[in-house]
Amino acid sequence: MSVGGRSSASATARLSVLVAILSVPAFTGVWELVARSGFVNAVLFPPPSTVAVAILEWIRSGQFFADLMASLSRVAAGFAIGAVGGIVLGVLTGRFRLVSSLLSPLFHILRPIPPVAFVPIVILWFGLSETGKLFLVVWGVFFTVWLATHIGVQKVDRGLIRAAQMLGTPQPQMLWEIVFLGALPYITVGLRTAVSISFYTLVAAELAGAFAGIVYRIEIAQQNMQTGQVMGGLAALGLLSFVADRFFASLAERAVWWR
Amino acid sequence: MTPSLLRPDQPLRLVDTYPPSAPARQTTIRVEDLSVVFDAPSGQVIAVDRVSLAVAQGEFVSIVGPSGCGKSTLLNAMAGLERPFEGQVLMAGEAMLAPRPEIGMVFQQPHLFPWKSVRRNIAHGPRALGKPNAEALRIADNLIEMIGLTRFASAYPHTLSGGMQQRVAIARALANQPRVLLMDEPFGALDAQTRAVMQDNLLELRERINATIVFVTHDIDEAILLSDRVLIMSAGPGRILKDLQVSLPRPRSSAIVAEAAYIALKRDCLDLIRSEGRRAFEQMEIRT
Repeated sequence: MSVGGRSSASATARLSVLVAILSVPAFTGVWELVARSGFVNAVLFPPPSTVAVAILEWIRSGQFFADLMASLSRVAAGFAIGAVGGIVLGVLTGRFRLVSSLLSPLFHILRPIPPVAFVPIVILWFGLSETGKLFLVVWGVFFTVWLATHIGVQKVDRGLIRAAQMLGTPQPQMLWEIVFLGALPYITVGLRTAVSISFYTLVAAELAGAFAGIVYRIEIAQQNMQTGQVMGGLAALGLLSFVADRFFASLAERAVWWR
Repeated sequence: MTPSLLRPDQPLRLVDTYPPSAPARQTTIRVEDLSVVFDAPSGQVIAVDRVSLAVAQGEFVSIVGPSGCGKSTLLNAMAGLERPFEGQVLMAGEAMLAPRPEIGMVFQQPHLFPWKSVRRNIAHGPRALGKPNAEALRIADNLIEMIGLTRFASAYPHTLSGGMQQRVAIARALANQPRVLLMDEPFGALDAQTRAVMQDNLLELRERINATIVFVTHDIDEAILLSDRVLIMSAGPGRILKDLQVSLPRPRSSAIVAEAAYIALKRDCLDLIRSEGRRAFEQMEIRT
């Protein structure tokens, strides 16, 4: 009985690996069949083969690379500015009560406003310039990273701070070597969350008006009824954000090097 | 000749006349009428009540008392980590208002910086005091050799046992060459075997560098074994009940627990603590 049970358990395990491998191809196949069957409008719901052709066209035209760079540079610059600002202010508000009393109430009021809601005023302020897009991404990233850092700093073991105080640690060294590193596990979680936020604010920023970018391309394709291109853009965006998330996950593991 | 802790170009300020009976010994740290008060939900609690004490250079003083008697608070106030409500702590005649590197501290938990190797942990203090990196690391290496952890110099704290971690914490505190070393139940979290080894290590270390040490513990055996003087504290509010001289010969080892003088001293301590404990317990019962 037990032997039979074990062998059937391993059979189940093998089967689930096989199913996992076949999952995406199977659904793609079903999609292809349904799209070609005539039950649905193939113009609105093109089969994956059409999407693949659209993606290849996009790459061959050279526009894909330009769009990718436009989107990526917006995300990267916005993320960098928002993250650095969030970490610096988070360390200060987490460590100094007076700074926290000054800034935390304001940040807690601004933080829950979805960054997308700022699109209209950003257009008024910055027009269709890159500054406006940067503003949206920075806004989304900053508060997430600030909050994670602020909480992380407050969770730093008080014993470590006391030990550092007893050793005569001056304030800059205390902030960098004890407080910041002590909060690093929290900060990396905040950074990873901020990656996905930066992509979703990018969507809002490019939909609000741009001249290049992956989401811009999706919008243009939609206006021309190029549904295959729209879906290709969505796939590219999904892949990009997935890769960025994986990258940050592995970075987060390595950043906390002492564990 | 025992090997010197640091190289000759770095005179160690901890070194002092020895044995402790040597004449004209200077006071290092002095506590004058110190009270520490905490705010509690039920009102103010007096943790330390008008305590005065003085520690001479090269002296090893233990503070013994039941848990919650305020002995750790007293030590924290001596470290500058706790504000006095009344009275003051004087270090070489100057009032202590904040932690100072002349006073080293070893806590019950090692509190090593988890992201720094053993070497970098020990070098932290000298670097904080502005020493060049190379010199800080040299000081660290000498201390690592002294605590016998050369093999673990580049290891991270979480890979070390509790006893090894506490040895690193002691070395880290010594790296700034403090004039006084405060130790807050440093072996309290260790198992009995490790604890005994650590006590022997500390005795040996002390013979070598003749540090001035204030040592808080609730273990009377530990206090008598290590100290020149044992201060017995009472609970609620924390006061010093008795100041006992331990005139057992040095160097000591854990073998002294069988000696008559030791047994007599321990009996005195126990009697005091027992009657004090009963008084505190009865007070508590009346209160509740």
